[in-house]
Amino acid sequence: MQALQHDQKRLEATDTQVLGVSMDSAFSNKAFADQIGVTFPLLSDWGGDVTRKYGIYVDKYKAARRVNFLIGKDGKILEEQVDKDAIDPTKIVDTCERPKLKN
Amino acid sequence: MQKRLPNALAAALLAGTLAMSSVGSIAAQVKAASDTPALPKVGDMAPDFTMNYFDGNDLKSVSLSQYRGKKNVVVAFFIFAFTGG
Repeated sequence: MQALQHDQKRLEATDTQVLGVSMDSAFSNKAFADQIGVTFPLLSDWGGDVTRKYGIYVDKYKAARRVNFLIGKDGKILEEQVDKDAIDPTKIVDTCERPKLKN
Repeated sequence: MQKRLPNALAAALLAGTLAMSSVGSIAAQVKAASDTPALPKVGDMAPDFTMNYFDGNDLKSVSLSQYRGKKNVVVAFFIFAFTGG
C-alpha cells in the first residue's frame, strides 16, 4: 500500500484510481490508512465475497492473497501481479504511463 | 422376533440414509470446489464489485463499474491491515 501511495502522483497523472481491498472492517482499514499515510480508499470486503469472486481467497488464512490488478477504462485487466510480485507495483505504474493508456 | 425385525429394518434404513447423506455432502464439497472462480487473467473482464470504505465520517460505497470509460483502476488486494506493505 505504501509503495502505491509513493507512486500516487504518477498514477493520478495517468487517470488511474487506486483502491486497496482487504477483508478487514472499513474502520480497521481507515485506521491502517491513517497510520501508514495512505490517501486512497481501503475498501472492506467483509465476509470475503469479492475476494472469492476474484479467485484469491486463501482458506488456510481466511484472507486474500496479495494481488494487484490494473483494470483499464474498458473494464479489462491490463496487468496483474500476484503474491511476492505484488509487493513492488512498478510494473503497473509503468504500464499506466505507456502512451496508449494516457489519453 | 416379531418386534426385533422392524428394529433391524429401521437400523438398516437409518444406516442407508446416513450413507446417502454423506455421499451427498461430499458431492456438494466437490461441486463447491469446482465452482470457486479462478484468478482472472490479463485480458479478462474484471468482475464488478461494490464495497465500502470509511472516510472518517461516513461509510462510502465504491463500485468498479463507476470508473468504466473514465479511469483506469488499480485494485490492490492486501492480506491484513496493520501488516507490512
